Amino acid sequence: MPRFRRREWTSRSLGTRLGHNIFYCLIRFGGRWPAYFVLYLVVFYYMLFRPSVRRRTKYYLRRRFQDRKLLARFMDSYRMSLELGKILIDRATVGILGSEKMKVKLYGRKKLVNLSEQRCGFVLLMSHVGSWQVALSALSFIDIPVNLLLEHEEGNIDRHYFEYTGTASPYRVIDPGGYLGGTLEMLEVLKKGEVLCVMGDRVSGSQKSFVNVEFLGEEAPFPYSAFKLASAAGVPIVVLFSYKNGPDSYALKISRIIRVPKNLGRSGKNFLPYVSKYIAELESFVQIHPYQFFNFYNMWRNKIK
Amino acid sequence: MNTNAKLKDIIIEELNLEDLTPEEIDDEAPLFGEGLGLDSLDAVELVVQVQKHFGVEIKNMEEGRFAFRSINSLGDFIEERIAA
Repeated sequence: MPRFRRREWTSRSLGTRLGHNIFYCLIRFGGRWPAYFVLYLVVFYYMLFRPSVRRRTKYYLRRRFQDRKLLARFMDSYRMSLELGKILIDRATVGILGSEKMKVKLYGRKKLVNLSEQRCGFVLLMSHVGSWQVALSALSFIDIPVNLLLEHEEGNIDRHYFEYTGTASPYRVIDPGGYLGGTLEMLEVLKKGEVLCVMGDRVSGSQKSFVNVEFLGEEAPFPYSAFKLASAAGVPIVVLFSYKNGPDSYALKISRIIRVPKNLGRSGKNFLPYVSKYIAELESFVQIHPYQFFNFYNMWRNKIK
Repeated sequence: MNTNAKLKDIIIEELNLEDLTPEEIDDEAPLFGEGLGLDSLDAVELVVQVQKHFGVEIKNMEEGRFAFRSINSLGDFIEERIAA
């Protein structure tokens, strides 16, 4: 079965463990502003002296902002990297100093409450935008178990927000490296009426599980596994985006609820219309929040021939 | 038609393996990975198809891990559940 040549993206941390600990100390003893200050310098250093970091932003930025001059491209790259850094600092701030340090507003709360009251399960489809961890920390009002598909890559030394205080994970983690990629576990939790959180914008695994969808003017492969699971379990897909909208505030938005018919079969083309709806929402998001899109790799490279 | 033969027909037709014939599918070969080369989403479809054609539900990963070893084990699993 054809597989991607290699996984294009990585969740490995850029900085060293010492560098991370310095940021954690700054947050613990001075709050997040001193950490932001150091971040501005560190990101500028990376932009100047680590061209590979800048290169990783160009695939997306050149499609999002066409016809930019050299300086504007540099600034775009700087802003995108800076936004990611700020979000990592905010996440650490919530973990170290408490969730009250960050305001989170959820748009569409009633829809989520209604769905959770029905106890029929749903897929919470998220993306590598804003801060998905802040999103999850704000969903504690959902009184049904929340499961998260999450791969912990060797070399990723960033902590989850709950790990700073040593508290138990508020959600159950399903490992995509487990038996059959965790799909049977995911199907099981959906059939039990629980919530399954998955990311819909990155690819790994066999090409049989992807469809090409136009994103920012060019076709790119996107996974349809979440849509297949929703179809098999007969549950809706809730598209959720999170974004930083102020120095100490985030917003979560239920962008759309996608209902996939049951028994759509195995062929990817049957799922294309539903994946396309999600990608249209993602494209709208990056038009409004261009620097909060965090896929630092060439998403367009491995499209299905 | 016995359970294994029906399973092979379902796999060929529903999982789009039209270049295979039922005779070419070894009853003992692993369904996933090296054997038939099915992938994780094929497993989800197989759960759906087993329920649709046999009325048998594969409820969790443990049942799936046991049943999805080969055509023989899936056939045995279905027959046991029908007989129960």
